[in-house]
Amino acid sequence: MREFEADVVVVGGGAAGLAAAITAAEKGAQVMVLEKANTTGGCANMAMGLLGVETKLQKERLIDITRERAFEKFMDYTHWRSDAKLVKKYIDQSAETIEWLQAMGVDFALPSKYFPGSEATWHIIMPKTGNPGLRAAATMIKAMTERAEELGVKILLETPVKSLIKDQGEIIGVQASDKDGELEVYAGAVVVSTGGFGDSPEFIKKYTPYEWGKDLYSYRIPGLTGDGIQMAWDAGAGRDYMDMELVFFAPNTGGYAPIELPFRQPNLFVNLDGKRFYNEQVVENPVFSVNAITRQKNRVAFSIIDDKTMKKYEENGLDLINVVTSSMDMSYFNQEMEEAIKNGSDVFFMAETIEELAEKTGIDQEGLAETLKNYNEACKAGGDKEFNKNPRYMVPLDGSKYYALKFAPSAYGSLGGIRINDKTQVITDQFAVIPGLFAAGTDANSVCNPDYVFVLPGNTLGFAVNSGRMAGRNAVAYIKSLS
Amino acid sequence: MKTVSITIDGHVLEVEEGKSILHAALEADLYIPHLCHHPDLPDLGECRLCVVEIEGDSEIRTSCTTKALDGMVVRTKTDRLNAMRRLSMELMLANHVDDCTTCPKYLKCELQSLIQYLEVSTSRLRRTLNSVPVNTANPLFVRDLNRCVSCGRCIRVCREVRGVDVLDFQMTQEDRIVVDVRNHHSMAEENCRFCGACVEVCPTGALQDKEGVFKPNLNRELELIPCKSECPAHTDVPKYIRAIKEGRYQDAIAVIREKAPFPHSLGYVCMAFCESVCRRKEINEALSIRELKKFAAVQDQGLWRDKARFKPKSGKKVAVVGGGPAGLTAAYYLAKAGHDVIVFEAAPVAGGMLSTGIPEYRLPREAVQAEIAEIEKAGVRILTNARVTSLTELKDQGFHKILIAIGAGAGTRLPIKGADLPNVYENIDFLRKVSLRDSITLRNSMTQGGSVSLEDSVSLEDSVSPGESITLGERVVVLGGGNVAFDCARSAVRLGAKEVSVVCLENREAMTASEDEIREGLEEGIRLINGRTFLAIEETNGRAAGVTCQEVASFRFDENRRLQMELKPHSEHVIPADTVIFAAGQRPEVPEEWQLAVGRGNLIITEDGVRVIVKETEGKTVQTGAGEENSVKAKDLYAAGDAVYGTHSVIRAIAAGRKAASEIDLDLGGNGDIEEKLTEEATPSPYLGKDEEFLRLEREQATEEPAEARIMNFKEVSHCFPDTNACSEAGRCLQCDLRTQITRPKLWVHYKIK
Repeated sequence: MREFEADVVVVGGGAAGLAAAITAAEKGAQVMVLEKANTTGGCANMAMGLLGVETKLQKERLIDITRERAFEKFMDYTHWRSDAKLVKKYIDQSAETIEWLQAMGVDFALPSKYFPGSEATWHIIMPKTGNPGLRAAATMIKAMTERAEELGVKILLETPVKSLIKDQGEIIGVQASDKDGELEVYAGAVVVSTGGFGDSPEFIKKYTPYEWGKDLYSYRIPGLTGDGIQMAWDAGAGRDYMDMELVFFAPNTGGYAPIELPFRQPNLFVNLDGKRFYNEQVVENPVFSVNAITRQKNRVAFSIIDDKTMKKYEENGLDLINVVTSSMDMSYFNQEMEEAIKNGSDVFFMAETIEELAEKTGIDQEGLAETLKNYNEACKAGGDKEFNKNPRYMVPLDGSKYYALKFAPSAYGSLGGIRINDKTQVITDQFAVIPGLFAAGTDANSVCNPDYVFVLPGNTLGFAVNSGRMAGRNAVAYIKSLS
Repeated sequence: MKTVSITIDGHVLEVEEGKSILHAALEADLYIPHLCHHPDLPDLGECRLCVVEIEGDSEIRTSCTTKALDGMVVRTKTDRLNAMRRLSMELMLANHVDDCTTCPKYLKCELQSLIQYLEVSTSRLRRTLNSVPVNTANPLFVRDLNRCVSCGRCIRVCREVRGVDVLDFQMTQEDRIVVDVRNHHSMAEENCRFCGACVEVCPTGALQDKEGVFKPNLNRELELIPCKSECPAHTDVPKYIRAIKEGRYQDAIAVIREKAPFPHSLGYVCMAFCESVCRRKEINEALSIRELKKFAAVQDQGLWRDKARFKPKSGKKVAVVGGGPAGLTAAYYLAKAGHDVIVFEAAPVAGGMLSTGIPEYRLPREAVQAEIAEIEKAGVRILTNARVTSLTELKDQGFHKILIAIGAGAGTRLPIKGADLPNVYENIDFLRKVSLRDSITLRNSMTQGGSVSLEDSVSLEDSVSPGESITLGERVVVLGGGNVAFDCARSAVRLGAKEVSVVCLENREAMTASEDEIREGLEEGIRLINGRTFLAIEETNGRAAGVTCQEVASFRFDENRRLQMELKPHSEHVIPADTVIFAAGQRPEVPEEWQLAVGRGNLIITEDGVRVIVKETEGKTVQTGAGEENSVKAKDLYAAGDAVYGTHSVIRAIAAGRKAASEIDLDLGGNGDIEEKLTEEATPSPYLGKDEEFLRLEREQATEEPAEARIMNFKEVSHCFPDTNACSEAGRCLQCDLRTQITRPKLWVHYKIK
């Protein structure tokens, strides 16, 4: 058995773990990061940006969101179900974190909203190509990895941690293995930041209301198996609110795929009974939408348009756009539609009549016919008495062809698991601090409770980097308090 | 060797003449981005990521195809080069799915690592991806062209390294050039050898192994060679299979002997976990690895003895309690490590289950005895009829260490009414008596009672027979669905029972008995009754007359490993019997006086699979039966085999014995190294070549005695392969081990100078 020593051991080298490692190293600690993958960054390699409030970038662009308003919005949105002290610290620190990353060489595109009704808190990372988009945060991971190594942080790749070592109630290290066998690292403090349980159908089934592949088609980034959460629990950590970071996608299309473009619009949405179930304007907010979809039979919904609307979208552009899909246009959709027709699809449907559409999609035929009749009448009358949808989106479906796309709950990953206090210390269910153990990032993200706070976008990566920094700082303070 | 001196980004490097700039840089731990370059393949300069500027040369060069020349001054990280690289990346990304999160290669992907390093995101260029369905048509690989960047590594490795030449750049109907199987055929049609080299060199998720073919393991050798990793002793299966194929039979047996001192016995009865994970089973059937092992053992001329390693005498004494495969294996390696070893075996013959459990028709006793003789030749002393009752007395004989390898020798009876009637027996007791030709009376018309006389292959003196004598009737019911149940049932058939049934809880698919056992048992006329639970044993005149069963609709084990059954109502029925044998598991018999901590199933609890935990008493010492305190401390006690983990396989017992030997040697001051090299180390050729017959080769079947003949006696049922069949069977191997020879490229994070 090989043994190593460090001041701080970080379990998981993603955004939270690297932030913790760099922060602790900046304060003079000897830090070791144990990462089970072959490279750093974890799910942040797929991310785009992080939350910042009252940043210079915002001020320069007259984006006047204040810390106070952001805090209020956050707490209003979560109905004070989240740890207010932790949320306050997170928001207050977020601007300085953006500067901290800039000092490392990370550039940002303009702070963005996610959809029109949200705040421009999302600081999307600017890759060196000048074109921010999916995977933009991989650029940040490079800067953080290099900064960590520059500060002497030892990053052990392909070294999964198996368990925490506990001695007389205190966490004093970790047990891990690599290709040469087992090893132990003893440390003054341990930070757990393994990115949640998005790749564990067992965790999802046990701790959320969903079953992967049945009524949930979430991203499963390889390796996010909940191992960090489990090892913290095994060491006595309490369990905080756990859920999926829900959005909705057409199942198994990858998420925000071009095939969704004309369907992720305020069209007619129906459930399997053929009935409308919400004001389709809300489609711009994926969290509200998925909550509505989850309430429907089999947790599915269909967005339906006719050829007239399809043509309108092609010629005049889409009604709603968001940052993620803004780089795509309808030609992308047309290409995917052709492929769907050629290869067959179980989410995209096309029909000459509404009866045929009902048959293909499995929607109740009578229900759909009745809904269509009422909807078209309401469109002509100019008002949606059912859900008060904006009349501009009330467009009758009376063309010669119908298209439908099936939507179902999906998720970027998981939220929460390890109970922490506002100092990122891991605590038991009885709120007793477990000395030497800290947690950060998605493993401990129970501030988005019960839903991802989409009104302030950038919360997952934002909480990861900020809670990681807090954990790094608090871990060093803890070690100093020992001596 | 002539060297040249070049300067790369200010670092002066001495480089072997003829090497490329890229090669020189990477060797010096200086990173230049690259994707189509692979250390084992010829370079083409296709991806254009490794571009460099050379002083005095106005052209930008790809460093993989430019030779390092003396005095060259090279720059690799200028803005101009980075801009070019990013554009090359964006060209590739425009034709690559944006979504990495559903890709199994995530965080192992060279393209993803380059996205980090080159700081790019989605492509600014127009999407050129023409999505196509993921191809899962072949049995072992997934081909996802949406993730292909056309680097051509797969084509090169298949053509240049393997000589199979299955893949090439092909034109699609839409006039796009993509990597595909030649002539748009299936891989099988182009005679793919399924070696996996293409998957190994693929930098993205375009070529992947099908999920479940490999079990993730940090150790690459064990991950990529499933037969080797699944074998508890990690026997180098592909290596000995290759030796057989090439006619090097003495090398083959030597390779097996490097890990196990019972190759011939294993050739008969190994549970062959290797075959259950053999990748060839996805093509037609798994390789017949066990039969090949038997073949190699039959060919053994003992040449490996010349290379066997004996360490100098240590002067230390070790007692091994129990002479089964775990104990004998440990004894063998401990003796070779220089220790003085005595094995104490309670039975009149050594070998444990090999000699007194597994019936002779499955495992001829000569094979076992010859292998035990080899162990004795290594210096191990074996005492039979030597039951150890007191560890204290043993310790007093001067042993420094004691290994407890007593196996799981006690049968278990289910707690149902009638379980203790006189004509109800336990599996292990029954088999022991059959093996030792001892105390068995037949009550059938054939023999008219009296002791059975079987042709003896092992003559035993002073046989001891614990327990009552066994009387076998005409209608035998065996309760249990494992291999041992079949051993009992098939032995009963051979002893003349007229109607033998195997009754078990599991359905046919879930039975733990091996397929061969079930098939051969059925051929021999055994009736198999699945999905039954046993309610009681019916009694007539003080003797068992049948087993009352009920049908089971489904069953599972709860979190506490307790059986939960759903019974079919009103399905109770009686299976008539005049002999009932419980074959529902065995447990170790651990004398109370030994004071060992035992857990579920009376298994000996250990710290690390080897070191025994002694029950908490004063001074952590073992109390003897007489009550006096003695000096046997926990640190001198070890355990291995079935007694630790419950009934399992011979090969696991061997692996456990090896581990125990290594640990004990360490604690006795040795270095714990029991590994031996019994063959010359030779790197196998990476070249496979074309072979149109390869995929069609069917698994060779060993010839078997017909069922009518074999039920008349206890003679060997299955015969060894002749030479030609062995070689042709060995030729079916996919040679998964060749893949481990391929270098795994380093990512930018692993380089010192980035």
